[in-house]
Amino acid sequence: MNELTQALQENWAIIAPVLILQAILMVVALIDCFKHDKTNGPQWIWVLVIVFINIIGPILYFVFGRRND
Amino acid sequence: MMKQWGVLFKKEWTESVRNFKWLWLPVVFILLGVMQPLTSYYFADIIENFGGLPEGAVLDIPPPSGAEVLAGTLGQFSQIGFLVLVLAFMGTVAGEKSHGTHLMVLVKPVSYFNYLTAKWVHILLISLSSFVVGFAGAVYYTALLIETVPVNNVLSGGAVYALWITFIMTLVLCLSALFRSTAIVAFGSLGTALLMSVLSMYTPDLMKWSPGMLSSHSQMLFYSGDTGDGFWVSLAMTIVLITGIMTLTIYMFNKKEVAGHTE
Repeated sequence: MNELTQALQENWAIIAPVLILQAILMVVALIDCFKHDKTNGPQWIWVLVIVFINIIGPILYFVFGRRND
Repeated sequence: MMKQWGVLFKKEWTESVRNFKWLWLPVVFILLGVMQPLTSYYFADIIENFGGLPEGAVLDIPPPSGAEVLAGTLGQFSQIGFLVLVLAFMGTVAGEKSHGTHLMVLVKPVSYFNYLTAKWVHILLISLSSFVVGFAGAVYYTALLIETVPVNNVLSGGAVYALWITFIMTLVLCLSALFRSTAIVAFGSLGTALLMSVLSMYTPDLMKWSPGMLSSHSQMLFYSGDTGDGFWVSLAMTIVLITGIMTLTIYMFNKKEVAGHTE
C-alpha cells in the first residue's frame, strides 16, 4: 500500500486533474438535482447516488434522473 | 430555408446547454481517455498492492507501447463511451414524440429535412467534440507517462475512429426518429455496433466493407501508420451508409408524420 501511495504522491500533478474532473461532474449533477423539484424517483436517493458512486453516479443521474419538461 | 434551420439548431443547442450535455459528456470522455494510460502506468504498483502476490514475488511485465495504450483507449470509448452517448441521445426524437413536444415544432411549416438535419448536426457536434477532448487527454497522458506516438498516426487513427462514431450516432438518430420507444433505440444502435465489431473481428474477410472495420483500421494506424487491407472499401461504404440512412430516415419520417396528421 505504501508504495502505491508513494507513487501517487510523486505524481500528484498527474492525478489531480482526474480528481478535479470527478468533482466537477459531481457538483454539476448535485446543483442540477437540487435545482429541479422533480426527479425520476426520490431526490434524496439521487443525491446519495451522485455523491457516493464515483463518476458513474452523476452519469446515471444525467441519463435517468432528470425529468425533461 | 437556411434561417429556419438556424432556429431549429439553436433550439437544440440551448437545450443541451441547459441540461448540461455540453459539460458532462466531454468530462466523461476525458476521464475515460485518461484512465487507460494511468492504469497502464500504475499497473505494476496496483498488482503488487492488491494482486495478492506472494511475498518477494518479482513482477516483470513489459510496459505497454504507446500505440497499445491508445488502442486500449478506443476500446474504452467503444464500450462505455458509446453506451453513454447512446443513452444521452436516444430520446432525441423519440422522447419528444412521447411527450408530444415535437408537434409544437412540427405543426408550424417546418421542413422535416431541417428538423432532422439540425438534430443530426447537433448530435454529431457534441459526440465528436467529446471524443476529441477525450482522445486528446489520452494522447497527452500517454505521451507523459508512457511514450509519444507519432503525430500522423494519432491524427489519422483518430479521424478514422471519428467516422465510426459518426456512423453510430447517425443510426441513433434514425432509430430515434422512427421508433417511439427509447429502449428500441438504445438496444438497436448498441446491438448493431456490437454485432458489426464482433463480426469484423472474427470474419474480417467477409466484412471488408463493414463500418465495423473502421475501429480496427484506426488501431492499425496507431501501431504502424498504415491501415489494413480494404480500408478504402469500408471508408467509402461507411460514407454511403451514413448518407443512405439519413435520406431514408427523412423520407420515412416524412411519410409517417404526414400519415399521422391526415388520419
